[in-house]
Amino acid sequence: MALNNLVVTAPPHLRSKEQTAVAMRDVLVALAPITVAALVAFTYNALFVIAVSVASAMAWEWIARKVRGKKSTLEDGSAVVTGLLLALLLPPQIHWFHIIVATFVAIVVAKELMGGLGRNIFNPALFGFVFILFFSGVLTTFTGNLGLLAGGYDGVMGATPLVFLKQGLEGSAAAPSYIALFFANYGGAISEVGSFWILLGGAYLIYRKVIGWVIPVTILGTVFILAYILGSDGLYMILAGGVMLGAFFMATDWVTSPMTWQGQLIFGLLIGVLIVVIRLYGGTAGAVAFAILIGNAFVPLLDKLFKPKRFGEVAAA
Amino acid sequence: MAAEVKTFKGGIHPAYNKELSAGKAIKAIPVPKEVVIHLQQHIGAPCEPKVGVGDRVELGQLIGDAEAFVSAPVHASVAGTVKEIAEVTNFTGAKVSSVTITADESQPEFARKPGKDLESLSDEDIRDIAREAGLVGMGGAAFPTQVKISPPKDKPVDTVIINGCECEPYLTCDHRYMLERTDDMISGAKLLKKAVGANRVIIGIESNKMDAVDALRSKVASEPDISVEVLDVKYPEGAEKMLIFALTGRKVPPGKLPSEVGCLVQNVGTAIALFEAASWGKPLYERVVTVTGPGVREPSNLLVPIGTPVSDLIDACGGFVGNPVKLVMGGPMTGWAQADASAPVVKGTSGLVVLTSDIVDLGEEAECVRCGKCIDACPMFLSPNYIVTAVKRGQWDQAEMWGALDCFECGCCTYDCPAYIPHIDYVRKAKEKIAALKKE
Repeated sequence: MALNNLVVTAPPHLRSKEQTAVAMRDVLVALAPITVAALVAFTYNALFVIAVSVASAMAWEWIARKVRGKKSTLEDGSAVVTGLLLALLLPPQIHWFHIIVATFVAIVVAKELMGGLGRNIFNPALFGFVFILFFSGVLTTFTGNLGLLAGGYDGVMGATPLVFLKQGLEGSAAAPSYIALFFANYGGAISEVGSFWILLGGAYLIYRKVIGWVIPVTILGTVFILAYILGSDGLYMILAGGVMLGAFFMATDWVTSPMTWQGQLIFGLLIGVLIVVIRLYGGTAGAVAFAILIGNAFVPLLDKLFKPKRFGEVAAA
Repeated sequence: MAAEVKTFKGGIHPAYNKELSAGKAIKAIPVPKEVVIHLQQHIGAPCEPKVGVGDRVELGQLIGDAEAFVSAPVHASVAGTVKEIAEVTNFTGAKVSSVTITADESQPEFARKPGKDLESLSDEDIRDIAREAGLVGMGGAAFPTQVKISPPKDKPVDTVIINGCECEPYLTCDHRYMLERTDDMISGAKLLKKAVGANRVIIGIESNKMDAVDALRSKVASEPDISVEVLDVKYPEGAEKMLIFALTGRKVPPGKLPSEVGCLVQNVGTAIALFEAASWGKPLYERVVTVTGPGVREPSNLLVPIGTPVSDLIDACGGFVGNPVKLVMGGPMTGWAQADASAPVVKGTSGLVVLTSDIVDLGEEAECVRCGKCIDACPMFLSPNYIVTAVKRGQWDQAEMWGALDCFECGCCTYDCPAYIPHIDYVRKAKEKIAALKKE
């Protein structure tokens, strides 16, 4: 009898196809449309930023694990995802040194020093992005029109849609239209080349069950409604800037979001409110990033508050 | 008839693969040369041997019994000679005192006692019959039936639930029992109802066994207090608490038994065994075992004498195919992986599942990524990942706080975990440690 290979483990002896690495691959697939759109819009500028960001993120992770004497975790794909997400947040023209500093902060500080994937409190990509936003002048370099489709739609030079929004000028002729916000390169970060492409990826992630719908829907809904309440343009607000990317790809990060749907709902509400308030009353750049990072800080509390109620815990019927 | 499909919240949808053996009628395995009958195959006190080495035993003869209330006697599953009484490794890896019987070449048919009038039996009679026949829950947990049908006086039971879910992937023995022993099962269910003084019987069956649903419904059409309900195909639909909730809307509180909400749940095999014991005087010495999986040449539903080594079951099904890497006694979600094919079948053995290398995914345990999938899957609404964290840190009070003691080890969390965390390993550690701490 061919029984030399019998393995004894605790049950269950069957498992689903769930794997962290597969989920990360799904995220990369979901990011493909927006990445391609960015490459079309910003050509080699985008390619350069993405390549430097992904490569340095992987390098930092490899070094950090080595120094800590831990097993390499490159194969789980999370470093690639962090590198790509970070690149998508950056402006198309940014000094390579800034990118490397940003990935260092993201991977080494925000992730590995916190204990590695699973223990970090803040979304690494956003943490790195906010750091570089603060400590360099990249803010001034957000711009559109570097690629093939420069001016193809309603492309603008200089002022990004968020500036129009802040000034209450989103309805003006100079500001990009809804259609432009939806499909085209209108100025801003590398990822601000059409929220449709992000929506496409987000839908894929929900379809693949990598993420749930509660967080993105709550964030988008809150931003949409609150913006109108405060006298701004809600649709414009969710289409412009990083709201869409944040709602589907950043706030839904497994590690840094609440685990129960009740917690996720409050988390989404909080982030939505913060986005609108920061955008309308604070600075324009990085509003989504700040909002999500602040939300991240509340996650341990939300997980404590919204523990699932044990089956039968209430008095029996 | 209600078209409604009942269910619970949480759980998972694994591939069921029941088609491998669902269509195979129950057939008796060739008589084994030797059977090894554990003197403890149930929850509760072990039995003392009632025979000596060299004694002749008849089919169905009592060979082990105990004084304790929570226990069940064991009987000879073949006619033959006692060869040895010694400690033998059982399917969980534990050493248990066991009686080895060398079987006679030719085996007699079981001599049925003349038909008893089931109507005239009192609840006390039925409990005695269950005890004498050594009945235990045949779904896997093997809890002595007599104890289960003696609910506390202050907790009246109004509903008997016959568990025909068979929610474990691959297994089909209960399906075959329901199809081939329909009348006997209904008679057994009535006996259970009488034993606990219930006023209704609900038979719960997952919707992937509609032929069994139809067969049973046609038989109980004229019985107003027996209903057959269709349940969603979802694991673990057949878990006691989930099943009670799905069928009655009642929730058994943490740490409590079904009698708390007026229910008694029994497996279909147990109901049939009770009928056999009451009507024919037949003790529980054989059962149907589904031998299946991609690693078995001819998956089958075999009627097997208790104590038959699993290697005999494999031989009866044409041997192995492919590259078997897991030999699981029980279902693939909750069963016990075997190191070899020597363990004998016990009363609670519902299946023998042979999984091959292309199906078994032995990933390496990684860090929890807090995806929350274990929380979504947990039918008890626990937080498996927090139990694991607490166990890793040795925080036993935290492990208990997150629900370690309420876990009934269905395995849904691990099934869906992208980080390959073996939650049940940790939960078992927690249970052991918490129990030890409470003793102090």
